[in-house]
Amino acid sequence: MGAEGDNKARFAKLITPYLSHAYRLARSITSSHIDAEDVIQEACLRAFRGIDAVGDANARAWFLTIVHHTACSWLRKNRPAALISVVDVAAVEAKQAKFGEHHNDTPETALIAKTDRARLEAAIGSLSLPYRETFTLREVEGLNYREIAEITGVPIGTVMSRLSRARDQLNDMIERNRL
Amino acid sequence: MTNSTPSSSSDNSIQLVHAYMDGELDLTAALGIEEKIAADPNFAAARDRIIALREAVQQNLTRDPIPPALQRRIEKTIGLRQETSHPTRRALAASIALAVLVTSGSTWLFLDSKAPQTMEDAIVAGHIRALMAPQPADIASTERHTVKPWFNGRVVEAPHVADLANAGFPLIGGRVDVAGGRPVPTLVYGRRKHIISLTAVPTAGKATSGPSVSVDNGYNIVHWVTNGISYWAVSDVSASDLNEFAKLFRATQS
Repeated sequence: MGAEGDNKARFAKLITPYLSHAYRLARSITSSHIDAEDVIQEACLRAFRGIDAVGDANARAWFLTIVHHTACSWLRKNRPAALISVVDVAAVEAKQAKFGEHHNDTPETALIAKTDRARLEAAIGSLSLPYRETFTLREVEGLNYREIAEITGVPIGTVMSRLSRARDQLNDMIERNRL
Repeated sequence: MTNSTPSSSSDNSIQLVHAYMDGELDLTAALGIEEKIAADPNFAAARDRIIALREAVQQNLTRDPIPPALQRRIEKTIGLRQETSHPTRRALAASIALAVLVTSGSTWLFLDSKAPQTMEDAIVAGHIRALMAPQPADIASTERHTVKPWFNGRVVEAPHVADLANAGFPLIGGRVDVAGGRPVPTLVYGRRKHIISLTAVPTAGKATSGPSVSVDNGYNIVHWVTNGISYWAVSDVSASDLNEFAKLFRATQS
């Protein structure tokens, strides 16, 4: 009872404050609030089972890493087409790097800043999963590159390139109205 | 620093503009990118596009909380939620009404008269610690569009960031201090060779008051409250300079 009570208290203290962050991350990965609910429930059970192993200082990154893995496993099982392999992403990244470059010369920043919610959400939703997740963790959750690298399991340099290309693609889509 | 050439705007270098805007570069690298932004229109354009997209995100995307029903399900599954003694709607409404009544009245005065002493000590201690550290700011940037979003996820509410460089108070960056047992955002401004720490602490209610001037450990302090946010400017600049800073900052809030 004591250990069980301790674990509940630790869950309430360390995990409960980040449930909303986790929910938004799961929704970003699965692109569905219904699927996100399944993912969060599963992730919370996993977090509860391992709660005595986590330190107080890194609970947020630890929990969001669990959510990342749970969501990816969920997609692999239920919607494998939504998951792009790392190799595919690298090839896509190489193409998209060129795509984004020339637009730096002619920024239509006023158009970008004034875009509406529906258009922005559609643009973010059309990003590939690694870009969408990285962008969400940075711009919505405010995490730093090191935390994002830890959660998504990639080097910090990859976080930087994914973020810059995600932003380039979003800006291009908004400027060209190509949704 | 070279002038703009096609190679200077290569993909890798442009990516560093993103790292700069995200507050990920150290002071030396940040200064290098600021020089490139000033010298190369491609870098400036990349910076402007990041700012524009960030504004669009901040204006349009809400940070939706977890649905309450889902949170209840999770807490029940884990065993955090007991199914006993739910207050009735009427009891809940009565307690909220009472809380609002108390909070909006004498409690505010009580908090206001008691909290500032300890808050002031903690905030001055944060300023002194920052002066002793290698850098007074955890994020070094003169861009308010970089400093403000850096606070997202680190503190409950990112502070209002004013650009006062033209008035002689350039933005240096920001850091997170601990005051009243919680993380609070502190903006760092410069005044000639001196540092000004401006800490913003959310308080109860929507009060506006001040400014008031005091001295603690030899540091001048100007304190005021705007729309429920309690501001503390701490520095070793003269009281008149610090008052001028507070006046200019408050003017950007109206």
